Amino acid sequence: MAISFEYVAKETASNLWRNRVMAIAAILTVAVSLSLVGTALLLRQAVSRQIGQWSNNVSLQIFLQPDITKPQLQAVNQRIDQLKGSFIRRCTYLDHQQSYQQMRQLFAGEPSVLGVLTPATTPPVFSCQLVNPNEAKTVADSFDSNVPGIYKATFPGQSVKILQQVTNVLQLILLVIAIVLLVSSLVLILNAIRMAIFARRREVSVMKLVGATNWFIRVPFMLEGLVQGLLGGVVAVGIVALSNIGVNSLITHYDVKVLSSSSLPTGQLVLTEVLVLIVGAFIGMVGSSLAVRQFLEV
Amino acid sequence: MIRFDNVTKTYKGTVAALSDISIEIAKGDFVFLVGPSGSGKTTFLRLLLREELPDTGQIWVAGRDIGALTQGRVPYLRRNLGCVFQDFRLLPNKTVAENVAFVLEVIGRSRNVVRSQVSQVLDLVGLGQKAGRLPGELSGGEQQRVAIARAFVNRPLVLLADEPTGNLDPATSQGIMNLLDRINRTGTTIVMATHDVGIVDTMRRRVIELEHGHLVRDQARGVYGVNDQGASTTRGIPAVALRPIGESADDDVEFEQAAQVRGRRGQR
Repeated sequence: MAISFEYVAKETASNLWRNRVMAIAAILTVAVSLSLVGTALLLRQAVSRQIGQWSNNVSLQIFLQPDITKPQLQAVNQRIDQLKGSFIRRCTYLDHQQSYQQMRQLFAGEPSVLGVLTPATTPPVFSCQLVNPNEAKTVADSFDSNVPGIYKATFPGQSVKILQQVTNVLQLILLVIAIVLLVSSLVLILNAIRMAIFARRREVSVMKLVGATNWFIRVPFMLEGLVQGLLGGVVAVGIVALSNIGVNSLITHYDVKVLSSSSLPTGQLVLTEVLVLIVGAFIGMVGSSLAVRQFLEV
Repeated sequence: MIRFDNVTKTYKGTVAALSDISIEIAKGDFVFLVGPSGSGKTTFLRLLLREELPDTGQIWVAGRDIGALTQGRVPYLRRNLGCVFQDFRLLPNKTVAENVAFVLEVIGRSRNVVRSQVSQVLDLVGLGQKAGRLPGELSGGEQQRVAIARAFVNRPLVLLADEPTGNLDPATSQGIMNLLDRINRTGTTIVMATHDVGIVDTMRRRVIELEHGHLVRDQARGVYGVNDQGASTTRGIPAVALRPIGESADDDVEFEQAAQVRGRRGQR
């Protein structure tokens, strides 16, 4: 039997309205938990993107002596050429002037550092990308200060690792909280539907008596749960989008260049938001199905 | 229309609610189901609605073994069975017309059908003027009329009534019985469980009496508490008091005739 769309829509809407306090509680819990899920996902993507950016751009920085001689420079260059392909993918040479410009950008907020820097005292630098960023230490060792003309070779390995660990832990905490909240929102939806079933037990018993099909009785309740989950998802999508905009504008406002690549492309953001919506709908569907199965004896 | 073949139903840890009941009710019959509380009347009706399954035996409604129906087919069985209860079971927040229309809506009838059928059946029960009222604004008798309209609006093959006059005064009850009688004359089979002595005695229809789950009487034009031998089966009430004055005990003959008629119908 075809279930008329009009009937189902009317029933679902009136159920939601009648049960609005429970519905709002369920929707808000779904929204909060899904916001956390969405934020955790975005954080993960942003961090991995940022780390990727760092490790791609500056796997290894070889700072040269400011007073390096031409032959010394050529020797270093040769050494780099030997490792090219096997360890080093590509190197960019920044002379005094270019290096000075980069430093000015990096220490834009610290005039005390800028005060002592001049193009002449700034070490020229080779910024290298490594074939495998994990080998940074080995490669850096072959460019240590014993080599004439080299001041120091640095790699961001250590700090990146710490950052990765911190975000992993943060992510885990967020996800655990999110899962706990998701379970509780599932239970809340289940309970909301249970209340709706109880509030309508007279109608349900009449429907059963006069031969309404089981699905005809079930569908409005299941849809009610689905709508609650979906509405929670929609609110969460808004929160996630807003927090994304907020973080981005903070980065832009304070001109935090090192984090500039943390902002995600729209595609990734949309994908995350769609996922949040799907999880919301799923939670609503599962919660109401359980309620219908348990409390609607048809 | 309805046939019980050796039906037994036992609830956990109690004596049988129905034991080895075999009975046939033909299309168009009007049957009173009588017996003291706990005699199995309600179980009889619940089994017919397939709210429960018998432990043994088969129940046939309109030629189908309802025990063999899948869960998904049960609603379609119930569309053929109208139900009326002692406590009316109307939806208090819907108007009279909405209460009746609800039945048709939930089985997916089109809006045009709903509109015409509802006003037609409300006129039949004499409530055409009160279609817009809420059940709470009606008298008990009127509420029961709404319940009957709701049970009948889908033109069921059988109307089951569980003490429909239990909450009503005698005059109002008579009105309800007249209505049921009219519905019966449209060819609808009626099975009515009742304690109402006066009604059974004035209607003189088929009486099926249950006691402790046993079929103790099946009489074609029976009265409330008297069996075929003229002895009271209803404890505490003398048979003489129940038998309408001027009626002779010729029920046996009629029962035989009615049984033959039913037999012929059954063969068809």
